[in-house]
Parts: sequence; structure tokens; C-alpha cells
Amino acid sequence: MATSQVASTNPAADPSLWLERHGDYLYRYALFRLRDGSAAEDAVQETLLAALQAYRDFAGRGSERTWLTGILKHKIVDHFRRASRQKPASQLGEESFEHPELFRDEGQWVEHWRPERAPVDWKADPARLCEQTEFWEVFRECLSPLPERVASAFLLREVDGLDSAEICEVFQITTNNLWVMLHRARAHLRRCLELNWFRPGLLKR
Amino acid sequence: MAKGLYDKAIHAVRYFLLRRLPTCKQMAPVMSESLERRLTLRERAALKLHLWVCVWCVWYLENLRTMREALRARGAREEGAADVDSAVKLSDEARERIRRALAR
Repeated sequence: MATSQVASTNPAADPSLWLERHGDYLYRYALFRLRDGSAAEDAVQETLLAALQAYRDFAGRGSERTWLTGILKHKIVDHFRRASRQKPASQLGEESFEHPELFRDEGQWVEHWRPERAPVDWKADPARLCEQTEFWEVFRECLSPLPERVASAFLLREVDGLDSAEICEVFQITTNNLWVMLHRARAHLRRCLELNWFRPGLLKR
Repeated sequence: MAKGLYDKAIHAVRYFLLRRLPTCKQMAPVMSESLERRLTLRERAALKLHLWVCVWCVWYLENLRTMREALRARGAREEGAADVDSAVKLSDEARERIRRALAR
């Protein structure tokens, strides 16, 4: 009786349909954050397997997709935790992402922006950007040269809104480390998006 | 006449500030950190003055905020289970592999 009630109030809760109904969505979610196709596929598989085991806890409460996404989130963070334990980060060359070439290196205005490379007004609407597939393609490419750890910490912070303490725990870093990493990620992405999305005409400079 | 003098004075003050304040390169990490924590009184004052005289840094900070908002908007949409980037799909091979793993 209880079982059939669950089934009738929430006909969506059917494990055999999860892959078909939510597979692509979960894959996209994981791919954006992990930036690696096979890691994203693994995360989807782990999520569905874990969901299968925890199925009774779910018992049709709330949205199936939200529930699955919640599990996937944990799997993604687990992946980052494993990765940062396996290979300790090297700091070599990370300063280059701060783009020192954008600042004057001598004279009266040393360390101020070079006028021809200074930031410009993007005149952008974030909500509209969010809907443009091409923007996310450029974004993905801009993110790719960053060290894995830097890009991952940045995404956890900005997309998922995790707080510093959680992110520091995942990557085993200090808050100061995190701030430096976020600064580098932002400085690099800002410059890259400016050149490749907001004013492609100035690429040659 | 008075207007001209006033403009000159403002210009001199801005010039003075730009020469004395932390540089743009020094302000960049502070601007990023302003999104992470409450700046100290000293940092807030320096940033405010710097932004008053340097429109490039105004845009820099604005650009950082735009990136944050676009990313948060994406996160919120996905949180609401809406599709973003619907062209990206699981490959047939991966789908089959997962199907087999689930059936085990």
C-alpha cells in the first residue's frame, strides 16, 4: 500500500529511467565543473549507483533531479579532494596568470595600466551572457590554461557559492592561498574574455 | 573662470592621489579580495580613492562582478534543474557503459 502510494504520488521516481531522463543534464553539470569528459562520465555513473543504493531514503520526496544533483555535487567535491591529495600543486609560473604585461614596467606611471591594454567597459548583462552557448564555449577555453586546482577552486567559489572554509578544506590550502588563486583565476579570465568575447577587434594588440 | 580653477584643482588632486596611492597592479588583488571578505578600513579608503581617480580600475572591478554574476546565474539555473548548454550530451558508449554498471 505504502509503496504504491509513493509510486502514484511521484511517478517520476523510477531508477530505470534516471539515465534516460537525467543523464545528459547530470553529465553537463559535471563536465562544466570537472572540465574532463571521462571524469564527468565517471561522476555520473557514481552518482546513479549511489542513488540506487539510497533510493529508499529518497522515497519520492521533492524533485528527483534535484536529489540526483545533490549526490553529484558530493561526487564532484570528492573528485577534487582525491585529485589534490594525489598530486600536490606546483606554484611554478602561476604568477603569469596575473598578466604583468598589462602594466607599465617603467617610468612615472610604473605598475599602472598600459592605456592600450587597460580594462574596458564590457557593457554586459550577466543574465544574458548566461544564456549564450557561445559565451560558455569561450569561457571554457579561457579556463583551460589555468592550473587544475586554480580553476576548480574558482568554479566552486563562483558557480556553486561554496564558502572559503569548505574550499580550503577540499584542497588543503590556507585562506590566503585561496585568495591568491582566486585573484589569478579572475585576472586571467577577465583578460581572456575581454580579448575573445567582449572586444575581439583588439586581439592583435 | 572659477570653474576653470576648480577643474585645475581637481586635476591636481587626482594627479597627486594617483602618484601617492597604491598602483593599479597593487590594487588588482585587493579588488579580487573585496569579493571575498570585508576589506580593512585602510584598504577600503585606498580603494575608494583609487577608483575615484582611475576609471580603468573601476572597469576592472566591474568586469570581475560581471563574471561572478554570470557564473552565479548559471549555478542558479542548474540548481533549478534547468538545462544550460543543451548541445552537450553523454556519448552513446558512455551511456551504454553506465547502463551496464547500473544493471549489475
